Amino acid sequence: MGCMKQSQEGARVLIEYCAGALDPVQAAEVERHLESCTDCRELAEKQMELWEALDGWKAPQVSADFDARLYARIAREQAAPSWKQWVRRIFEPAAPVVWWKPLASLGVAGAVLAVGLMMHTVPHPAGAPQVHADQVDIEQVAKALDDLDILAPVNPM
Amino acid sequence: MGAEAAQPSVNPGVNKDMEAVAALERDAELMLRVRGGDETSFALLLERHRAPVVHFLYRMVQNQAVSEELAQEVFLRIYRSRANYQPTAKFTTWLFRIATHLALNWIRDGKKEKSQESLNEELLDGVERQVPDRQPTVEQELLHAVRLKEIRRAIEALPEKQRAAVILHKYEELDYAQIARALGCSQSAVKSLLFRAYETLRSRLAHMA
Repeated sequence: MGCMKQSQEGARVLIEYCAGALDPVQAAEVERHLESCTDCRELAEKQMELWEALDGWKAPQVSADFDARLYARIAREQAAPSWKQWVRRIFEPAAPVVWWKPLASLGVAGAVLAVGLMMHTVPHPAGAPQVHADQVDIEQVAKALDDLDILAPVNPM
Repeated sequence: MGAEAAQPSVNPGVNKDMEAVAALERDAELMLRVRGGDETSFALLLERHRAPVVHFLYRMVQNQAVSEELAQEVFLRIYRSRANYQPTAKFTTWLFRIATHLALNWIRDGKKEKSQESLNEELLDGVERQVPDRQPTVEQELLHAVRLKEIRRAIEALPEKQRAAVILHKYEELDYAQIARALGCSQSAVKSLLFRAYETLRSRLAHMA
């Protein structure tokens, strides 16, 4: 195993090791590496210290009247006119709505359509060479016919 | 061989995973009952997730009154959308997605400044609550308060998404996939956010070791 500290993925594994989130096999592998790599050992020690420091920050207890206040809000909302409830459902959805994604898709689709329409309406610039190609073909056919004419008298018929 | 097969699993991780799966199924089952109009199931869901949601929001906004207000909004939105609930994702992921969204919006709206006055009072309250049972000396209490303040300030100084990622990872023990869903980004983005956040925190809190 190379130095884990050198890569972001390696450092991530070290962080998970310090959090105790690795399975026993992975953890043993990291421990073997830490025995031989000073840099990684130092990083792991610092991460462990940080982990313990963060443990010291406890959140306060939830207020005793939390549920009562919530149920009062629910009751108020249910007592509201149905149109208000619908407005809330639209403008305050449970899961956040990512508006820019469908708008971006629509924008890209519109741009593709606009480019397609422009290409369809603008005269094809490749028209001239195409005519030239046709002319070449006609000339070749005419020349071939002339050649046949030249050959005709020689025909033993 | 038969005796071996009869032995219970000795790997505690397996039991923990099975418990987690059972808990997830329980959440989805309760939510489906709420969808069917069962109010008791909503009370059970509230009982199971009230504290984690409030604690997550408290660490995000660092104000108890605001965190409870936002947590109420989370549960209100869940209740409001019960009729359309589909158990397509883990309930906790959905829960923390809503909570993260509300917390980030609150922070971005600049509401934090309005509540700064109460922050210092809360800091002292928090310290008082966290003192262990045995009687600490005044010096120990002050040291604890200073350390706690530094931790809070260091986390508060992180960019919003890094802060949310660290809190969800460290305190709520969500995995990368769940954090990614909660933040609305990819798993590789979450790894990057956590890597940078922990790097910053190690640097800022190095003197506390």
